Amino acid sequence: MTAVEPRPQTSEVRASKRTEILENRPVNLDGFVEEWPEKGLVAMESDFDPQPSIRVEDGRIVELDGRTRDQFDFMDTFIADHAIDVDTCEQAMATESVEIARMLVDPRTSRADVVALGRGLTPAKILDVVKLMNVVEIMMGMQKVRSRRTPANQAHSTSAKDNPIQVAADAAEAAVRGFAELETTLGVLRYAPLVAIGLQVGGQVGRGGVLTQCALEEATELDLGMRGITAYAETISIYGTESVFVDGDDTPWSKAFLASAYASRGIKMRFTSGTGSEVQMGNAEGRSMLFLEIRCILMAKGAGVQGLQNGSISCIGVPGAVPGGIRAVAAENLVASWMDLECASGNDQSFSHSAMRRTSRLVPQLFSGTDFVCSGYSGVPNKDNMFAGSNLDTEDYDDWNTIQRDMQVDGGLRHVREDVILQMRNKAARALQAVFAELDLPAITDEEVEAATYADSSDDYPDRDVLADLEGARSVMERGVTGLDLVKVLERSGFGDVAENYLQVLRQRVSGDLLQTAAIFTGDFVPLAAINDANDYAGPGTGYRLSGERWEELKKLRHVTSAENPEEEVV
Amino acid sequence: MTTATGIRTLTLREIGPAERGTRPEEVVIALSPAFGDPFTKTIVDVPHAEVIRQLLAGIEEQGGVARTIKVYRTADLAAIAHFGAKLSGSGIAVGILARGTTVVHQRDLARLSNLELFPQAPLLDAEVFRMIGANAAQYAQSRSPRPVPTRNDQMARPRWQAKAALLHLKEFECIDHARAAVEVEPVITRVD
Repeated sequence: MTAVEPRPQTSEVRASKRTEILENRPVNLDGFVEEWPEKGLVAMESDFDPQPSIRVEDGRIVELDGRTRDQFDFMDTFIADHAIDVDTCEQAMATESVEIARMLVDPRTSRADVVALGRGLTPAKILDVVKLMNVVEIMMGMQKVRSRRTPANQAHSTSAKDNPIQVAADAAEAAVRGFAELETTLGVLRYAPLVAIGLQVGGQVGRGGVLTQCALEEATELDLGMRGITAYAETISIYGTESVFVDGDDTPWSKAFLASAYASRGIKMRFTSGTGSEVQMGNAEGRSMLFLEIRCILMAKGAGVQGLQNGSISCIGVPGAVPGGIRAVAAENLVASWMDLECASGNDQSFSHSAMRRTSRLVPQLFSGTDFVCSGYSGVPNKDNMFAGSNLDTEDYDDWNTIQRDMQVDGGLRHVREDVILQMRNKAARALQAVFAELDLPAITDEEVEAATYADSSDDYPDRDVLADLEGARSVMERGVTGLDLVKVLERSGFGDVAENYLQVLRQRVSGDLLQTAAIFTGDFVPLAAINDANDYAGPGTGYRLSGERWEELKKLRHVTSAENPEEEVV
Repeated sequence: MTTATGIRTLTLREIGPAERGTRPEEVVIALSPAFGDPFTKTIVDVPHAEVIRQLLAGIEEQGGVARTIKVYRTADLAAIAHFGAKLSGSGIAVGILARGTTVVHQRDLARLSNLELFPQAPLLDAEVFRMIGANAAQYAQSRSPRPVPTRNDQMARPRWQAKAALLHLKEFECIDHARAAVEVEPVITRVD
């Protein structure tokens, strides 16, 4: 049995034809389960969640959500000592939850005011507030409290065969289509250095300023970042209960230390968390998924990282299966933004067999805008997606572009003409061919470059000599190859513009601009972050509006009939 | 539900405390707290009787011998399998959770390392369990089998993730910290 076979018939009672048709709809391939609040298998409304409370003595929080300091677990201690503003918390906690919820929704309350109030709230109080909000109100809040004014998007660029040429070509296409960040991961981890190089080189071909990362175990990921082969990191997982942290041999302090290691080298990074992970691991300690996720959000804030990838991510099947779960996921994104963190809002990871359900989970966030609408739109066909599939993939590009045009919303992408895409894919493959040749890595043939130009999936590429590639990957690490070496190689081999783009990404590390909340680059390497592109939404007619050059860009689709000559399409 | 004919049921008959084996070609099958009792089938309804039957057949085909133990103190698959491997005469064990997640372990490896891991329980059917048994027997004989081909299904998460969480929580409830592992004899009865 697999996930795309219908359920076995469990009843011999005759069903109507209509029921038979419904039974065969994709939505009935999805898994649904009853709530079990005692074990944390409940989205956000549980009698087992604590009641909000706070008490400060001598400038120190001594009671948090019904527990006194001697009863604190290490999450409570970390949050009390690092995430909550001691000076304002008692006053903030005295504000009625319904009043705070209204402030989040009301455009006349400024973002700054509601963020300032949020600094004094405990996890249980934050939950109490967002529980009052329906999904439209959550998105009203999101529109106002997301930190960067301009929305953006992020893509997965991976290969089922870990083929670095495929990754380079798909990265170039994703970059030119508008993604601001690209991430990869591996089937065979030892391939990582070559695939990370493919991603970085390809990403700088499509346009300047795309940021890349390679998701791996933490030590190698940090090493690649330190060397400048990648530009950011986001797979630093945190959890909402002490027991799950301990299971992973981690603590809030160890994660904060890792965060500071990245920051010390100017590398952009954010944490990852999401509803459902604690119950999935059997240690939810009887708390709702959203309560535990709010603890994670405050932990991220307390650790001083600029952002968080949440939106349930790899556990999306769990909240997706319980009542109100997707509303809880929307609420967790709102809370991340409200706590003044960059929010990569999920919408990655395969979530449902139903196209309608997939879209309805996505659309509210696409309309309100988030810092990254997807934390990984599959920039490859889903079968090549080594993050185990995404909610959207390359087959959805034209639908996405059409929704942007229909609703005049900016989801971070644009339609690109075929000739431009082919040119970029070809150039990325040639640039990587030159890099491999210069570094004495296993050759990339002209046949592989040709395949990369026109390919859809890994099936369309000649097979590589995997053992030779793995040997090459090892030598890249042993020789201590850095990003600067790659820049020099690109310059020497006639890809001066790609070298220039790559160098700019490395230079920004020194300036530290990427450490500002929600930082991305425009194609001209202008950093856009909460500090210079702050969200100023204050009701109709304000905030980010799609107009001017960007709107003209989004009006373009694959097929649009010319007004002047209806017998032709606009090219 | 009607009672179909030809269904096999599994009973685990207790033999005594799980002890260290001495036969060099032995494979230990280490079962999780809910395996066989109270649960009777995997996440995709493969009967536990069938799982055991196929594992045993795979081991036997390769000239191996099997011993089955049931663990009560943990529902952590790595811990169950590694415990089994330490009791195995050959140092090889197959660990299996009630929902079907399976690992082939070896006593000299770190607990979170292993020989072969099958993390996606919904993709494991009778054929795969037989191959796992066969490979385990070959490892026990110091041979180097080709790893069982891994299957991947990107839609397994939306279909099965929550049920897996639920089954995991239920299995957690069957943990008995006070109860030591026991050796069991799997008795498979066919209902005709």
